[in-house]
Amino acid sequence: MDFAIEDTEQQQKLRMEVREFLEKNVPPGITHTVDAANQPPEQYQLRRELGRRLGKKGWLYPHMPKEYGGADMNADEVMVLNDELTRIGLALPPYYDSGGRMGAPTILVWGTEEHKKKFLPPIFRGEVRTWQLLSEPGAGSDLAGIKTTAIRDGDDYVVNGQKMWVGSAHGAERSWMIVVTDPKGKRHENLSWIMVDMSLPGITVTPMETLATGGEGGAGGGCKNSVFFDNVRIPAANLVGGENNGWKVATTHLEVEHGGTGRMSDRRVIGEFIDFCKETHNGVRIADDPDAREMLAELYVEGEIMRLFALRNHWLSHAHKPRTYEGPQYSLRRKLGSLDISERMLRIAGPYALTTDEKWAPLKGAIEYFQRDAITSLHPGATTDIQKVIMARRMGTGGREREAAGKLS
Amino acid sequence: MDLSLNETQQLIQDSTKDFVKGACDRDVLLKLDTAPTDIMPRYWKQFSDMGWTGMAIPEAYGGSGNELMDVAVLFEELGVGPVPGPLFSSAVLCARIILESGTEAQKKALLPEVASGKRVFALAFTEAQFGWNAENVKMKAKKDGGDYSLSGTKVFVDDAVFATDLLVVAGIEGSIGLSLFRVDAKAKGVSIRPLAGFMTGKSEVVFDKVKVAGSDLVGTANSAWTGLDKGIVTSLPILCAYKVGGCKRVFDMALAYAGERKQFGQVIGRFSRVQDHIINLVNHLDSARWTTYEALWKLDSNVEGAETSCHVAKAVSSESYLRATDYAHEVHAGIGVVRQYGLTLFTKASRSLYHTLGAPRLHYRRLEKSLKLVA
Repeated sequence: MDFAIEDTEQQQKLRMEVREFLEKNVPPGITHTVDAANQPPEQYQLRRELGRRLGKKGWLYPHMPKEYGGADMNADEVMVLNDELTRIGLALPPYYDSGGRMGAPTILVWGTEEHKKKFLPPIFRGEVRTWQLLSEPGAGSDLAGIKTTAIRDGDDYVVNGQKMWVGSAHGAERSWMIVVTDPKGKRHENLSWIMVDMSLPGITVTPMETLATGGEGGAGGGCKNSVFFDNVRIPAANLVGGENNGWKVATTHLEVEHGGTGRMSDRRVIGEFIDFCKETHNGVRIADDPDAREMLAELYVEGEIMRLFALRNHWLSHAHKPRTYEGPQYSLRRKLGSLDISERMLRIAGPYALTTDEKWAPLKGAIEYFQRDAITSLHPGATTDIQKVIMARRMGTGGREREAAGKLS
Repeated sequence: MDLSLNETQQLIQDSTKDFVKGACDRDVLLKLDTAPTDIMPRYWKQFSDMGWTGMAIPEAYGGSGNELMDVAVLFEELGVGPVPGPLFSSAVLCARIILESGTEAQKKALLPEVASGKRVFALAFTEAQFGWNAENVKMKAKKDGGDYSLSGTKVFVDDAVFATDLLVVAGIEGSIGLSLFRVDAKAKGVSIRPLAGFMTGKSEVVFDKVKVAGSDLVGTANSAWTGLDKGIVTSLPILCAYKVGGCKRVFDMALAYAGERKQFGQVIGRFSRVQDHIINLVNHLDSARWTTYEALWKLDSNVEGAETSCHVAKAVSSESYLRATDYAHEVHAGIGVVRQYGLTLFTKASRSLYHTLGAPRLHYRRLEKSLKLVA
């Protein structure tokens, strides 16, 4: 076994190349706030600019095929890129791009050659930002119960309905969404996926106010929206994976969303908090208290388990190994583990954990933010209960055949 | 990055699986559980024939010098049995301590015989004031010319009943620090009494004026702690791998049972309450598994932070094994506590090994140190 993620000569070379590239290409003026929801549009635009520069080299979605604008990188190489962006406080992609992150791999599996050529290069080159549109007011965990319709009319589909918990601040050029294409059809046999140009007439985006970003990074990542569709005409050629075949297509999308690919961005706040407790602040070194020390060791261990599950999934997916329950297992762990860690931080740091006040907040408010974010993170990409349902099916607890994980390639 | 087993490890895994399935079926394991000393010698011969007793020992000292990960693969599959016995105590733990502490002459004399299985070592560390810290060792050896005389009681000593040799941790009267002594298990004044109860393979060992030759002081007098601690810490992930194997097996048992057992007209695995137990179980299994594997990799590749990872692995896997068996019992209900069913072999092992080489609490304390939380 080899857990090393940056040791070979080749990787070292790549790291230097990436570092040099970032030094030259990260646009000046990028700043980081603890709460991504508060970042202004200029910050978003700077990150988009970086996205385009990365995209030109195929480094925005580096694990994706070269022919569509990726770089055909393997797991180790992707990790180098991820590391280097994380090191300077950014992520890959450097802005909220749920429709790209989850839609692109889905299109790669289910789209026609024409779809791939049309939809993937703009995503991978950073020319468009794409949101995913799944949930609705009446369909959260029960995704198959959505009501938004797309009815074929000549060369178009006409879309009506409302999506919720969508995207971020600062808009998007496209949306990747699941719709009902056969309102009279059987459950699971009436759905389709369609790529939507967000500039089309009839689309209204209304922001919602939520507690925190829910682990979704990038400038303005915390803002969620309702999106209303009023007789929006979308070219029929934008429907991907076949009409009424959307539930099968969803398995790939959801596999990525449920953590099947593993996310390498770990909770930096864990290490920062431990370091903070080792320093003296307001005349107190928190780690001198044996109770605090014990809780710090415990939260460190929980963080290690989360990190290792993510690492394992990253390897499983990039090495094309068979997976069953590992995706939802990681999601579940990340959600519950983060909540557990945030509450230990609250017990250790007391009310300091709850303030963003410039004078009193530890780590510029990162702990306060984590208190909100860990709670908000419980629901995106399926609730903890749904993660358990999927795990049980994947393990075959009911004596049935194990449900297969969604196709990733 | 490559988290798969290599070819050697796959071979070790396959041959160990075959052994556990064939030679060590449930009836044998149930017998070993009640009368281990009757049939262990037969198995010990097979262990050494298969080269298992020499895997963790360098070639220079008569072993095969395998990577720790190879050894862990063996122990993970033995844990699937669970196959009891002194293989860990002798061929891993004591071998590593001797390797870290012994003089060149002692290593040359002792390790090849550990590797061949001729000598079986057990570590006599813990005493009435139970604990795995240096300060928990109160026993003192008396100097007797160039030799020593040992008196005192060690308790909860693992695998002493199988041992030909004991590696005894004690201080020397009038000196500060700890020393290591090799003592013949059959020497005059040594009495080994197996302890009954919800535990496996633990004994009380009483030393009554046992004569120990000066040449049987292992390494240097009064400075045994460094080597002893290093030997223990680097053996931890192997013990963890044994626990991972146990978790793996009780997971398989719970999953299979939930898919067969019918109540209310359907298999119980369709009830979400039952599913929750299995989900908790597999989460413990994988937590133990991946913390253990990373610690092994760090040790094998000399990566920074290996010691920290060893403590994480032991803290996590001890707790995980305990809880994994608990959840398996929740799924199995009545049948799970019938001895012949076999689940309780794991339950007992999970309890029995919980404190071996330190309970999670101790490893959290050690973590506090290695994370430099202690100023």
